[in-house]
Amino acid sequence: MDKSRRRLLKGAVAAGGAATFAAGYSDPLIKLAKGVTGSAGEKPKDRIHGNSLAPEYSVDLKTGELTLNPDQRVAFTICYGCTTQCGVRVRIDNTTEKVLRVSGNPYHPLSADEHLPMKTPVVEALRGLSAYAEQGQQNRSTACARGNAMMSQLDNPFRIDHCLKRVAGRGERKWEKISFEQLIEEICEGGDLFGEGHVDGLRTIHNHDELIDPENPEYGPKANQLMVMEATDYGRSDLLKRFTLNAFATRNYGHHGSYCGLAFRMGSGAVMNNLVSNAHVKPDIKNAEFIMYIGTAPSQAGNPFKLQGRLIAKARAQGTLEYVIVDPALNAAASHAADNNHWVPIRPGSDSAFAMAIIQWLLDNQGYAKDFLELPGKKAADAKDEVSHSNATHLVITTKVHPRESFFLRASDLGLAEAGSDADVPLVVDAAGKLVSSESVLAAELFVEREVELVGGETVLVKSSMTLLRESANEYDLATYAEHCGIPQEKIIELAAKFASHGRRAVVNCHGGMMSGNGFYSAFGVQMLNLLAANYNRKGGSSVGGGIFNGAGKGPRYNLADFPGKRGPKGVFLSRSRFPYQKSSEYKRKVAAGENPYPSRAPWRPIAPPTLTEHLPSALDGYPYPIKALIGCMANPIYGQAGLEATIADKLKDPKRLGLFVAVDGFINETNRFADYIVPDSVMYEVWGFTGAWKGALGKLTTACWPVVEPRQQKTAEGEPVSMDAFFIAVAKRLGLKGFGENAIPDADGNLHPLNRAEDYYLRMAANIAFLGKPLPSASEDDLAHSGIVRLQPEVEKTLKEEERGPVNFLYARGGRFEDATDHYKGEQLKNAWTKTLCVYSETIGTSIDTMNGEFNSGVPRHSHPLLANKQPMREVFTEQEWPLLAFSFKSNLMNSYAIGNERLRMIKPYNPVQMNIKDAQRFGIKHGDTISIESPGGEVVGLALVSESVMPGSLGIEHGYGHRDLGATPHIIDGESQPDMPWMRAGLNINDLGFRDPTRNVDGTWLEPISGSAIRQGLPVRVTRLGTS
Amino acid sequence: MDLMRRSLLGQLARLSAGVALVPLSSIATAGINAQPARREGDPTKRYGMLIDLRQCIGCQACTVSCHIENAAPMGKFRTTVSQYEVEDQASGALATFMLPRLCNHCENPPCVPVCPVEATFQRQDGIVVVDSDRCVGCAYCVNACPYDARFINDKTQTADKCTFCAHRLEAGLLPACVESCVGGARIIGDMRDPNSQISQMIAEYGEQLMVLQPEKNTVPQVFYLGMDERFVTRPVAEAALLEVLDDQGKEMGYEFRGH
Repeated sequence: MDKSRRRLLKGAVAAGGAATFAAGYSDPLIKLAKGVTGSAGEKPKDRIHGNSLAPEYSVDLKTGELTLNPDQRVAFTICYGCTTQCGVRVRIDNTTEKVLRVSGNPYHPLSADEHLPMKTPVVEALRGLSAYAEQGQQNRSTACARGNAMMSQLDNPFRIDHCLKRVAGRGERKWEKISFEQLIEEICEGGDLFGEGHVDGLRTIHNHDELIDPENPEYGPKANQLMVMEATDYGRSDLLKRFTLNAFATRNYGHHGSYCGLAFRMGSGAVMNNLVSNAHVKPDIKNAEFIMYIGTAPSQAGNPFKLQGRLIAKARAQGTLEYVIVDPALNAAASHAADNNHWVPIRPGSDSAFAMAIIQWLLDNQGYAKDFLELPGKKAADAKDEVSHSNATHLVITTKVHPRESFFLRASDLGLAEAGSDADVPLVVDAAGKLVSSESVLAAELFVEREVELVGGETVLVKSSMTLLRESANEYDLATYAEHCGIPQEKIIELAAKFASHGRRAVVNCHGGMMSGNGFYSAFGVQMLNLLAANYNRKGGSSVGGGIFNGAGKGPRYNLADFPGKRGPKGVFLSRSRFPYQKSSEYKRKVAAGENPYPSRAPWRPIAPPTLTEHLPSALDGYPYPIKALIGCMANPIYGQAGLEATIADKLKDPKRLGLFVAVDGFINETNRFADYIVPDSVMYEVWGFTGAWKGALGKLTTACWPVVEPRQQKTAEGEPVSMDAFFIAVAKRLGLKGFGENAIPDADGNLHPLNRAEDYYLRMAANIAFLGKPLPSASEDDLAHSGIVRLQPEVEKTLKEEERGPVNFLYARGGRFEDATDHYKGEQLKNAWTKTLCVYSETIGTSIDTMNGEFNSGVPRHSHPLLANKQPMREVFTEQEWPLLAFSFKSNLMNSYAIGNERLRMIKPYNPVQMNIKDAQRFGIKHGDTISIESPGGEVVGLALVSESVMPGSLGIEHGYGHRDLGATPHIIDGESQPDMPWMRAGLNINDLGFRDPTRNVDGTWLEPISGSAIRQGLPVRVTRLGTS
Repeated sequence: MDLMRRSLLGQLARLSAGVALVPLSSIATAGINAQPARREGDPTKRYGMLIDLRQCIGCQACTVSCHIENAAPMGKFRTTVSQYEVEDQASGALATFMLPRLCNHCENPPCVPVCPVEATFQRQDGIVVVDSDRCVGCAYCVNACPYDARFINDKTQTADKCTFCAHRLEAGLLPACVESCVGGARIIGDMRDPNSQISQMIAEYGEQLMVLQPEKNTVPQVFYLGMDERFVTRPVAEAALLEVLDDQGKEMGYEFRGH
């Protein structure tokens, strides 16, 4: 029987469209009854086409000739609708300078089905989007719903277009407008700025001669008491970091990663042997045969949104791929219109149980890529025509309290090489049972456990990475894993067997679902499946992607990496990450006093990158040290980090704990509501910058962002739009910091050029990108006319050398630089490959110490129930009896965390009802449509129960993006005038209001994942009560 | 294709799809049933749309791009995508079903004959349009459409609906919804051109294609591939979004209902 016949209709979900499509009825019916005749409305522009937009150009369907509409232009830039950062084509009215509509850039790999080769003339690209020979629907370039709707940000009524200074207490939402020049002066020079006492300005804080704390010299200079945070790299991070890390030179720069997907990124980085930038991969959807999506789902969540959605749609139609969605909630990726996919419900925060269960089955049933894993080193990989190899056969010293405990057994341990030299390679056991160099044999034993005599004569126990993985996977039996994750054992076995049966074209992918209590090891375990399948760098496997054309380095035209007088930051991060606690003065003092140095006062995370999750709470509590100023750029941790508002809001309001808070943003969000000053930033299509892709694209790409419309905000005295760029340039110049102002940018010949305006930086970066490798050709006059870049010409001519202008125009005319799609494969391999040793055992993690108990972290993935900071199980403190449900969040396919101001998105989905399983609803006496209170140890929110079977029993699903208190949700008063009150902006709830302060910490902090310091939002303990029926 | 599916509504759906394949030149001016003669538009073309539901990812890009392109009032839609949850009766497995909806530009449009002032008419290229110079906003057509594809535009006070973006088709461009379809589900084209993508897909998938409410004899020209026949008629489903609550749990109603 056909599957669809067996399926029962359950309910209309999500899209408000279902209800509102028929909304046209009510008024006309009334009118009908009253017998009204004749139209009293406003006459539309055209009797047939109404007020539809005039086409941007027309194409003769016979000849293909394209005629531009002189009243409009099309320009290519970036979308700020989410963090995917797609390249878009923006249609602009030449008279009103209004953006009319937005769609995809056909040159852009994230937007186009098959992105066009760079050499394609722009006119041809535009023609290719038309109905001529039906080209436009055979190769589309699209923008998603958000991408379409986001243009309203430009004239959003809550947009801030003027410099603001607070006129009441912090967070009280009262402001006055001031000039940019006054703002710069006050921020730099300080003084009694608010009548609350003296505030140190940036000039005083910029002190590299004195230590923050002579008792703890490793904290570094006082300059570290400026902290800078941004949301994410929307193309301007290079300039921001130039200021922060190399001009002002504070240690403390943070971004949203640790409350976004850091646990996933670090788990990936562990397998890929890159815990510095936390490399990660995405499936080659086009060629994969079986994919398990765990805590992410193409077309619902994950990044790049459109690219993955498009590829999964095609794969579904063509039947080339079978996939499963392992997630606590049903989502858009599980499609009833095709048979080759299904949803597997899982309990929130239990992914490590699922991953370790699959690993156990694969190891027990030879379901792993034995031949690949047996390759001990590069030499073997080369011989077998593989681009990578793993450390599966390498031997880890496991003898306790040995100085080499948890390290790999290397040649030097046996006196065969000098420690740290090139020859000091890991040792393996060959087929004859001999200890040999990993570079000397073509295969080695996978499962080893034996004693080895070291050079000094002592004997240690070593185990191969695979043995350690097997031990860890066998810590629980399948039945227990099944019980923990809520997926039946038979289902686990079925999925494991299917995964194994597809060999190197079986892939797993995970992301935000890993932001749980055991998130790092969950992601490590999930990504381990890719390694066991040996699908890295394989067609139909896991792809690291092409990376970017980096224009911010020592480029072919300009050196944007260095400048005369460049500084490097020094000292310990506020988040106490990437610094061994054992080297801290605190540790040494404790040891000297004969005290147990563990636990440390608060977690130090030796491997985690600087994490914004710890920065703010730690700074406000002064551990390791207090800060004096904070500058935030579009960052909104208060909305984004579970439990942060309840943990720090009161402290953030206190000028004694934080002297100065400056926000650079086009909007006032939940975090910069607490700022002292707001610098109005450019919005969306008004910005400069260069971005890449979050993997998924197989080729190299760099998107060029430029002001396709004039920024609408206040100007500086020099006539520049006030913006993030203008702000940092002005501050740097006033403080006399190097790298800004005159003589700041060296060219390839060593001549110095100024950095006084944003263009000085970004156009030179464009020149670098255009000249990397084989330089781009010059744009034609025709290219200029068809790409809206004529208005850019005065800047290009003013800033760049003559020979640079043509190629730079060529780049902007196409919205960036993109590697041609000609061939991303070499046989069964992906051309852009990851060649570092892949890790079954992560030596970096395995040799790191958990400062809360002084023990080594596990170097292989392992399952654990979520723990609090002091290692107590979360469920011991917040019991299931008291908090019977686990709340989790999922990404909206429509609403973004800062998109609530878009009326067209609210129009489609005005609200996020709470997803609750029917069994739980019955348990708690709740009916579909009831208003419920959701309480957690950290807060309480009110929501509407959406009762169904589309969520795992015992869990509560909350779509992210709603429940705002700012961005327009509460009016601010500016110069005595109130912003409009828009109650609908406050609709819904935010899971992060259910986060909580970890009660087992000594220094305040929210509940964080131990290894990465990631905010935990998957699996928050909650209870629900019915408030009423609607 | 299973027998069950073929023997039920699939039959009707297949018939409707078949209409597109017969030469339409005779029908175009003569009108069918009580339809007034078609006028305006290109008589050599017959536009239709095919939506491959397997490729619809439910992203609502079509909804928003159409809304912007055609300046629809807030809260009113010329096209949108309904999302349903379905359950496998045997296994209990759940999945989502996305159903994009728009005017079907029917071969026998029930909205046309009811217009007392002949404001709404079918063009010779099959596109059903409204002449706003004539429309009095009586909403007979709104009520006659079994697909809820029409509404009264509160700004113009006239009937409003999808035109397949006729203004773009005439400029050699694609409708906004097609152009922005992320999954590549929406295919528009001239069904009289046997080489057009839509003609070829109709030929290839003929009997798998379905239309909405075929029993109404409206002969819709929007064809669905990957359709579950139970969605061919308006499914009985429970609404997921009943109300909009503020942070205190206070009912706010739909922000755009007043439009």
